[in-house]
Amino acid sequence: MALFAPNGLLGSSSLDKPIQPSKESLPMFSLTGLLGPPSTSASGSSSSSVAGPSKVFTPTGLLSDSQTGSQDDDDDLPPIAQAFGIPAALIARAESASSAPGYAPRNSVRATTFDGKTLFFKRKPKAVSTVHRIRAPLRGFKERMGNLLEVPIHRMLEQLSVDTATKLQEADRQPVPSTPDPEETIEDTLWVDRYRPRQFTDLMGNERVARETMEWVKQWDWCVFGKAKGKKRPREGDEALEELDEYHRPREKLLLLSGPPGLGKTTLAHVVAKQAGYEVMEINASDARSGSVIDDRIRPALESGSAVGSTKPVLLVIDEIDGATGAGESSNTFIHKLVQLTYDKPWKKSRGGKGRDPNAKRPILRPIICICNDQNAASLVKLRARALQIRFARPADIHTVKRLREVCEIEGLKADSRALTTLVGIARGDLRGCLNTLQFIKSRNQEVTETVIRAATVGMKEAETSLVSVLNSLFTPLTRKRVKELALTEVEESKYVGRLSREVDGCGRENSIAVGCFAHYATLHQHDANFKRYEKANEWLVTFDMLSAAMYSEGDFALSQYLPYTLVPFYPLFKERGGQRVERSQADWESLVRTRANEEIYKSLARCLQTASTRRGGDFRHLVSTPIMQLEFAPYINRIISPPLRPVNSQVIKPDERAVLGRLVDIMSTLELQFFQERAEDGQLTYRLDPPIDVFVTYDGKRAADISVSRYAVRHLVAGEIEAQMISRKVDIVERAKRGKHDFFGKSTSGKSARDQDSFSSPTKAVDGDAADPPNKRARTVAAVVDIADKPPTDFFGRLITAPSLTTTKAAQRKNVEKKYRVTYRYKEGNSAAVRKPIKMAAFM
Amino acid sequence: MSLWVDMYRPRALDDLHYHQGLSARLKSLAASGDFPHMLFYGPSGAGKKTRITCTLRQLFGPGVEKLKIDQRVFLSPSKRKIEVNIVQSNFHIEITPSEAGNYDRVVIQELLKEIAQTQQVDLNAKQRFKVVIINEADSLSRDAQAALRRTMEKYMSNMRIILCANSTSRLIAPIKSRCLLMRVAAPDNTEMQTVLTHVSRRAGFDLPPDAAQEIIQDSGGNLRKAILVLEALKMQSPDLSGPLTIAKPDWETYCQKVANLIVTEQTPARVMEIRTKFYELLSHCIPPTVILKTVAEAVVSQVDETLKAEIMHWAAFYEVRMRIGSKKIYHLEAWVVKVMSLYKQSFYQFDISEFE
Repeated sequence: MALFAPNGLLGSSSLDKPIQPSKESLPMFSLTGLLGPPSTSASGSSSSSVAGPSKVFTPTGLLSDSQTGSQDDDDDLPPIAQAFGIPAALIARAESASSAPGYAPRNSVRATTFDGKTLFFKRKPKAVSTVHRIRAPLRGFKERMGNLLEVPIHRMLEQLSVDTATKLQEADRQPVPSTPDPEETIEDTLWVDRYRPRQFTDLMGNERVARETMEWVKQWDWCVFGKAKGKKRPREGDEALEELDEYHRPREKLLLLSGPPGLGKTTLAHVVAKQAGYEVMEINASDARSGSVIDDRIRPALESGSAVGSTKPVLLVIDEIDGATGAGESSNTFIHKLVQLTYDKPWKKSRGGKGRDPNAKRPILRPIICICNDQNAASLVKLRARALQIRFARPADIHTVKRLREVCEIEGLKADSRALTTLVGIARGDLRGCLNTLQFIKSRNQEVTETVIRAATVGMKEAETSLVSVLNSLFTPLTRKRVKELALTEVEESKYVGRLSREVDGCGRENSIAVGCFAHYATLHQHDANFKRYEKANEWLVTFDMLSAAMYSEGDFALSQYLPYTLVPFYPLFKERGGQRVERSQADWESLVRTRANEEIYKSLARCLQTASTRRGGDFRHLVSTPIMQLEFAPYINRIISPPLRPVNSQVIKPDERAVLGRLVDIMSTLELQFFQERAEDGQLTYRLDPPIDVFVTYDGKRAADISVSRYAVRHLVAGEIEAQMISRKVDIVERAKRGKHDFFGKSTSGKSARDQDSFSSPTKAVDGDAADPPNKRARTVAAVVDIADKPPTDFFGRLITAPSLTTTKAAQRKNVEKKYRVTYRYKEGNSAAVRKPIKMAAFM
Repeated sequence: MSLWVDMYRPRALDDLHYHQGLSARLKSLAASGDFPHMLFYGPSGAGKKTRITCTLRQLFGPGVEKLKIDQRVFLSPSKRKIEVNIVQSNFHIEITPSEAGNYDRVVIQELLKEIAQTQQVDLNAKQRFKVVIINEADSLSRDAQAALRRTMEKYMSNMRIILCANSTSRLIAPIKSRCLLMRVAAPDNTEMQTVLTHVSRRAGFDLPPDAAQEIIQDSGGNLRKAILVLEALKMQSPDLSGPLTIAKPDWETYCQKVANLIVTEQTPARVMEIRTKFYELLSHCIPPTVILKTVAEAVVSQVDETLKAEIMHWAAFYEVRMRIGSKKIYHLEAWVVKVMSLYKQSFYQFDISEFE
């Protein structure tokens, strides 16, 4: 309607008026001139411009009347008419602003009437451009061409382009084009783009999510836009937001949007950012996303606050962040750096006169929104702790269906709501997928019915085969219903290889399927007298394993397409109607976990052996190698360290037992095997071996029968002795460093020299040797024993501690007096050698 | 204090108790000054490493016993760190490349070149070359062995290599041809008896001959195992009198149990039961080939004569496949099912023939 206004004006004025409306005048303006031909006043012009729209029609009528004969003119008109569209007023304003001042004095003649009114007479333009002349014949009114083109052609063209632009904008803004014209519009945009929400209110479903996101973005207002903005009247419950930092940023500096694809996470981020007045800077999987990107691109953008050539503050959207580097401990990953960004402390404004460190990292003052599909991706571990997480759930199907139906109506696509519901169901709420499917159907000029939907979404559904469903179809034949659904003939039904191999292939987890088959086949209660079928099944499994091993070790992945076929034979061998459903077996996984745990124990045992071998001049090193340790060393060391000792005090122990004990303690302390006291859940104190090498003699949860389980009291005794030995060894090292080797070796025997010396000694001699240990060691052992005796007995084994400490000291005294050794005393508190000093025995008397 | 295995290990070629001929050869080789590359092979616990150390001592003197143990870190092509323990003296270096798994080639290349390109620093050293001992040479990957080939020839003037392996079958022919092969056979019963008596005498007690015989029977020519058993036995019952029960390693007892299960019943339920037992064994890091071998031997000892060959054949068959494949449990079970099927067949045929 309004479209016609300028043109009509143009034509009509040229028809009736020798006095031309000024070139620079807006359509409205010239219209004024039209209406009041005899005397146009300045005041009149302004009033008419107000009344403009209503009068627009008259000239149009005029025009059509006058120009009935010229058809080519009509051809010319509609595009222009369209071009002028709605924003005529807008263009007019621009026009006047640009051109009016320059032309006004030249083109009008000023006159004053007798009663003092000022009149402006417009001058007829003299020069006619060649362009006008060319256009004129088209119109068929050669003599009036000057009148026809009151606006120069270049301006008209310019206007035209501006108009097209606005029209496009308009179309974008309006999700619903008012005129669906299927024949004429060629599909050049995806529906997904065409119906993408442009404003906050257009967002559908997930209102809570949208609001939360908006709220978080709004929390930045104080920081980004300054104090004045974003101030809202205080509400209850806002206290939580009060403990903000000095920039009034929200507590979480990052927002993590997560959810399945197609629900509109990216769109939400963009819409919210736009609505809140930000310029979006997006980083997605198509960009390089190594750690350096943060330093090179993101930090500068965030620190400068706005993108180049834009006045709006920037908001960073990191799309598909779960694909970025970030797993592991490396500090150079994208995620790590991103999180680091949020840690940066604000500047300290005053630092005692010292200038600000120019290299200090500045804190980020702009919001960052991260988007991912899988919230639990390994790479996001660090991020999750620092980010506000908002999870997208699938919106209720009703909403999605409603939106789809709206789209269908606009696009003139017939769709029944059942079909749409099915579509949404298949797509699992993925709106993008739904729209794409609909567009596809539309492009084939079909109606949306359930069968069409099913046909169009075949692939979509196939991708969803899970491990369990594949296993089930391997072990159970197709149900009657399913056969009917797929419309298979009997012959087709009996052909399973293609179907099953496709299914296995679709799942893509051949190894897990193989494990599943392995776990399941033997649980089936089928009569298999001579194990023929079992043999075949195993043959296939072995084949599978060899193929896959070859594939992985040689990197020959061309083999992978044959893998599914090795699993298909389970179907003819074991298919069973109405058999129990296949559950995922955990046995294999559990075994793997246990193996890992045991490997760790072996590793720590190997470490013990290595330290022992360093200490003993390479003695144990041959026992570390792989099969020997597992097959020979581990079982026998367990037997060696668990002799049948009686739980008695080490002072009343028999000499042969003492020899055993001494040797046990020696071996254990050399290997750094220790007993650690622990309180079991029932409150009982127990001693645990560390590293727990006793797992290697424990099968099916039972210890080997021939190894006596050493009792608490025995372990207690041994633990005490080992501790004493370890301390003495540490002290020895300190002493050696202090006194120098010569002095030390004169008095004590230890390490290799000791072994070399007493290697031929008889058992009694060994005992003696034990007794004749270095003096300080002896005394310390005594001290340790006293230590044990002093302890209140914690369980009933305690009653066996009978030896009075008096005899101990006496015995010690006797020995020490005899041998003229220096005696040291270790204080009970602490195991450090710091308080140790030589003291005469007399001091104790 | 060390275990007896190490404590009473002979340190010089003259102290060795058996294979005197071999000792004499080694001695003359060491004296000749034209010492070749060597490959010691023989079953586990026969005394290969002992002989290697003794030879080294013969070559370089007691200085070779001053050992230094440290860890070296190598970088794999994919920048992964590989830690390898290295035992070395001034005259030799001892490595176990299988610690590096698939990257043993890197270790071999870098370490050997480094050693080979430096000359002996010690001017008083008896020999102008250094010795590299490579343990578990039969688990070296193909690449690593290939890397060894040229190095062995090129740096002959600076370095000799002593390989130690259980069998030569997994070594490539070019390596074997570059080495002097030294077979260290397992000691026979009387030799073991001598060693055990020697050990017990040095440890300060008298070993009753019966006990010694039992230990020897149990150990199957593995002297290390025999001495470990002896020490365990001594710890368990210090007087060594009366009837002795030699403790078998637990995994061996467990394998025996599995064999019994196979022989007593052949049903799907039994297959499942055995499977859990195999999982248990594997989770204790017992090498699957050892499991298969032990179980097969135990089964064979319990079945009819006609079946023995067949069962062993299939055990070998599946062992090969197990080495090629990656999921060991499949192959173990495949063998079990095969054996059950064989056993059942022979059992029923026998029954049927009796009916007729």
